Amino acid sequence: MESGTITIYIRLRHKISGVLHETLTLDRLAQVIAPEKIKSHIDKMVIHQIKQEDNSYVVIDAMDIIRRIYQHYPNSDIQTVGPSQTIVVVSTKPKKARLILFALVWILLFIGAGLTIMNFHEDVAMQEVHQKIYTMVTGKVDFKPLILQIPYSIGIGIGMILFFNHIFKKRFNEEPSPLEVEMFNYEQDLDRYIAFHEKEKNEVGNHRD
Amino acid sequence: MISSLILIIVGFSGGLAVGCGFVAFLAVLGIIPRLAQLTKTYGYIRAYEWSIVASAVIGSWLSLRNTSFHLSHVLLIPIGLGAGVFVGMLAAALTEVLNVLPILAKRIGIHEQILLLLMAIVLGKVFGSLFHWSFFVDK
Repeated sequence: MESGTITIYIRLRHKISGVLHETLTLDRLAQVIAPEKIKSHIDKMVIHQIKQEDNSYVVIDAMDIIRRIYQHYPNSDIQTVGPSQTIVVVSTKPKKARLILFALVWILLFIGAGLTIMNFHEDVAMQEVHQKIYTMVTGKVDFKPLILQIPYSIGIGIGMILFFNHIFKKRFNEEPSPLEVEMFNYEQDLDRYIAFHEKEKNEVGNHRD
Repeated sequence: MISSLILIIVGFSGGLAVGCGFVAFLAVLGIIPRLAQLTKTYGYIRAYEWSIVASAVIGSWLSLRNTSFHLSHVLLIPIGLGAGVFVGMLAAALTEVLNVLPILAKRIGIHEQILLLLMAIVLGKVFGSLFHWSFFVDK
């Protein structure tokens, strides 16, 4: 290797969160491996300052970072490992508004879930089935076989929790629950979309300059 | 004679189609693998299949023949609980829950409390069901 060349390895973080007007230095955005004497300088390089116009997402491309490092160290060899962009999530919403939103969503889900189960019961004529089971077991007729229906209702809750494996997680196993997997998939999709579209927007902006 | 033959063929075909549909429905929702995963009993998955087939056959026979056993009321409690757990797993497996929750959690920016949102749905189902059986059916 040529004696004057320094090799810098960069691994961008997948996703970080920032606040408005925050100055993003390289060590926030990426892990860096570089010769000891220049590493602290590289770590503290300012890559981006979060502005009002950035809205809720900023995508920092590996190319932007390489360009910035080249300005200071023209004879360096920069290797990027891992993702080619970092998504910065700008959090602006105050905490209190979020709490109210959360309460609203909670109530919405509560009522909605109750309504859907009632619709389902009507749809499949569950009442008749319960009456029939009651007659099958006891030989008597009851319009409201609550002795069957109350355990049934509690069972619905138990079944859902079992499916999501949230409460028994520690006891049974460490496998992720279907919801966690779904959540992860959704976030990955979202990140890919953001990375693609925000970058496009930035590039259009840069050409206009 | 010919009409009974036709009835046999029609009944058999209907049963075949419904049975296939039932199994396909269960397979899509993935409840059995989920239960096997929870209890770490993948090895017995064949036995679970037979449990479902046997129950479907016995259940449809009993319900079609209007059989009744004249047994104690108390037996209804475990039956109801079991039926509820199964329906609860069905409800949880339906894509509505799995798709809505991540989006909602993302929208209002709460990842940590997704368990609370889940509890909203679970409690909503339980109370919706209780309400249905105790008040709604009186209408």
